[in-house]
Amino acid sequence: MISYSRDPKQEIPTSSVKILGLGGAGANMLERIALDSQEGAQLVSLNTDMRTLSASLAKEKIQLGITLTKGLGTGGDPELGQRAVLEAEAEVRNVLKDQKIVFLCVGLGGGTGSGAAPIIARIAREEGAFVIVFATMPFLFEGSRRREQAETALNQLAVLSNALVTFDNNRMGELVLAKQGIHEAFGAADKMISESIKAVIRLVVRPGLIHVGLDELITALRTTRSRCLFGSGIADGKDRASKALRNALSSPLLDQGALLKDAQSVLVHLSGGESLTLFDIELLMQSLQKHVPDQAQLLFGAAIDSSMGDNLSITLISSLPEEALVSSPSTTQSTPTTKPVKHIPRPVEPPEPKRPILKLPEKIITEPRQPKLIDDIFNDQENVAPKPTAVQTPELELPAKPVAPPHQIAIEPVVKSDIPLPEVARPETYERPFAEPELIPTQPPQASIAKHEARPEPPIIASSPPAQVEQPNPEIPVVPVQNEPSAPLPREPKVDLASSFQLKIDPKNPADQDELSFKKTPRGRFEGENPNVLDGEDLDLPPFLRKKK
Amino acid sequence: MARRTKIHVGLEIGTSKTCIVVGEVKPDGAVKILGIGVTKSAGVRKGEISDFPQARACLKDALARAEDSSDVEIGSVFLSVTGAHMQGVNNRGIFRLPNNHEAIEFEHLEEAREMARDVHYPADHASLHTIVRRYLVDGLEQTASPIGLFAKTVEVDFHIVHGISNRIQNSIKLVRECPLEVDDIVFAPIATAQMALDREQRLRGALLIDIGGGTTDYALYLDGSIAASGCIPVGGDHVTNDIHLVTGLPFSKAEKLKILEGNASSDPALSVGIAKLTDENGFADVEVKRAILNEIIRQRLEETLLLVKERLPLGAVESIGAGIYLTGGTSLMRGFSELAFDVFGRDIYRPETPENSDLAHPSFKDPQFATAIGLIRYAQIIETETQRPPGFFGKILRLFWPFGR
Repeated sequence: MISYSRDPKQEIPTSSVKILGLGGAGANMLERIALDSQEGAQLVSLNTDMRTLSASLAKEKIQLGITLTKGLGTGGDPELGQRAVLEAEAEVRNVLKDQKIVFLCVGLGGGTGSGAAPIIARIAREEGAFVIVFATMPFLFEGSRRREQAETALNQLAVLSNALVTFDNNRMGELVLAKQGIHEAFGAADKMISESIKAVIRLVVRPGLIHVGLDELITALRTTRSRCLFGSGIADGKDRASKALRNALSSPLLDQGALLKDAQSVLVHLSGGESLTLFDIELLMQSLQKHVPDQAQLLFGAAIDSSMGDNLSITLISSLPEEALVSSPSTTQSTPTTKPVKHIPRPVEPPEPKRPILKLPEKIITEPRQPKLIDDIFNDQENVAPKPTAVQTPELELPAKPVAPPHQIAIEPVVKSDIPLPEVARPETYERPFAEPELIPTQPPQASIAKHEARPEPPIIASSPPAQVEQPNPEIPVVPVQNEPSAPLPREPKVDLASSFQLKIDPKNPADQDELSFKKTPRGRFEGENPNVLDGEDLDLPPFLRKKK
Repeated sequence: MARRTKIHVGLEIGTSKTCIVVGEVKPDGAVKILGIGVTKSAGVRKGEISDFPQARACLKDALARAEDSSDVEIGSVFLSVTGAHMQGVNNRGIFRLPNNHEAIEFEHLEEAREMARDVHYPADHASLHTIVRRYLVDGLEQTASPIGLFAKTVEVDFHIVHGISNRIQNSIKLVRECPLEVDDIVFAPIATAQMALDREQRLRGALLIDIGGGTTDYALYLDGSIAASGCIPVGGDHVTNDIHLVTGLPFSKAEKLKILEGNASSDPALSVGIAKLTDENGFADVEVKRAILNEIIRQRLEETLLLVKERLPLGAVESIGAGIYLTGGTSLMRGFSELAFDVFGRDIYRPETPENSDLAHPSFKDPQFATAIGLIRYAQIIETETQRPPGFFGKILRLFWPFGR
């Protein structure tokens, strides 16, 4: 008998997947991934600090800024980080050559992370890779300056990467108990990121019964200026379908599935052992329907992996559509914006999407440093700026990321400008989603594109943010069915979320809840006595009632 | 020296009952129970006195009954105490002999004992018992006193029971007001163990669990000496209270239902149907599903046993050779030994159910009196342990020491 092997061409070999860890936080994430993963993706560690770099587990290591920082860190200065990575650009480019997927793990806020990440993302894109950025945001207590640095970098990354998954350190409390050690908290965050990466790799690399590949992934993450929603859960046992879904939805990035309400397309990938039944899938998809809007496109994939045993794992990937991002700032724009941003520490997910766009114009206007940097270099390269946009199918690149072209050029030295041009263009034609122009161009009106193209000169920076803000207005009438529900929706849950988060902060620690129960429940014979507490349980209450809860 | 017959009295002020047992220790060491005086307790919660006047009235009543039944005028008692504040801990003192000494002398041993007794307990606690578990001479175990042996180091293992001193003082005060003299105070499970466990059982390893009305006391014996003891403030009252809280029945009915119909076994076959209580006229008074009733009881008792198990030292359950001995009123619960076996996986011994648990005509076999009778055994042991240096069991004891040394 002649056995046919499946043609593996359409799958991406693991060798063309690279995971980059940038900066100190990136190195930590990488370490976790190295410990966890059996997938065999190649790990690359990049850092300015020689000490942490040499301790890294990654196979490939690139020291940034050999002459600039001389093996020391950047001391929290993103500008230094930026220059350091430019110094090592050739090396970075070399490492990223011929990669299909590049994961960039970075902790924003510091010097190396915030400064170098956008540039590395850009290089990777230029090398034709699909770039997924996993970024952590700094803690609130790290101060507003670091936060601002992080947000600036995040905005750039949102534009430069194909998908951006942010994880706010302030939400770490949701992953671990307050009592647990700090290394456990960081470990949990790193683990989540590592799991996300593994899930994406599994999704793309493994052949499936119902195959989903990079194309579907890109469709799910279609909107470039977006925040990725990601959840993955694993469960076994009788009730595994609903349990796995519950686990996936409990991911801090999904906010109990509430954020999925705004999603336009959701990628659902199931993988299970040989015991995976159609009934499991049916059950799971049915309960998922409750969280996803009816008109959303469900990209479904399933794979059998015998190593999963009795487990069933589900991965949800989606992104908040552009309208949801843009329409919400237009409502908040009228109100003074600085306060809510600082005021709400936790609900990063819901307001996050609107913040970048809000903040970007602010920052560029208020901070003299940022625009200057861009302006200066931009002025040097003015003539180059329009070229890439002109060479590419412009409607694709520009509307989605209007700030990107100036920024790309801003960082790039003049010499290089010729080489990337065709390369930037190539992936667009090579990768399918970019070849699906019907999807993206429908969203941004042609008028705004014209605006962009017409003014490639420095003023574009000043004009482009307002242009974004304008965008939703013409858009809303274009796709009324989708937008009208989605436009009011974000507002309603936002109010709820804010209040619910405030509530969450206090009653989070279980001790409070216990005290409540002491007061409320009758205690019969032991009424009025001191609670007979042992190991956090009131022994005077019937175990019959306690255990049931 | 020839010994006289001695009469000892044990007093236990329990959560559900106050009980005085009068025993006569014959010259040959046999113990004869002369009489028992018992009344229902009031003003005691979870083993601790919460209402002094009521508790005093109960004590007086029990005293009158005991004097009646035994025809003895009671002047002093051995008092057992318990409560959640009581804790048993182990500690070891190590003493290295000075260079010019080859054999262990009394002072060296005293030094090691001093170190072993120096357990850190809260400032308001006082130690009740300091019991020598064993001696180690250069790491080799010695059960008897090692004085005179050649050694480099001598170690003493102590089991120390301590509790909040004011609460213990208040119990003593209550008895003194009666007026009765207190010979000694004993932690309840240690007294109970004197009666429930014999020497061989202690050598093989045995766990005593005394589940009373308000507390569960336990004492673990390994290799002939006590290894752990303590008290969990959960008892039969909690079972009644649980039934009351879950089903909404009044306490009296819940108590009756518990005693007449309850079953702690997890066997589903025993949880079929409805448990009924009939009133005087023969009408059904109370109806509760057996499944619920048994589940309430089982969960409470299982949790209690698990709490005991948790507090035992690591690997202790595995080294119990003789088995687990259950006493106390709640141990009469049907199906309790099956439950205890499920929890501990060791042989379970339980006292026989007495024919009548009527307080007016108490039977000595009744596990409810185990502690009080154990107190008499304890008194007897203390009396015979003339080898002990004075001061070890407290000044009070020395006052009543009948024989000079």
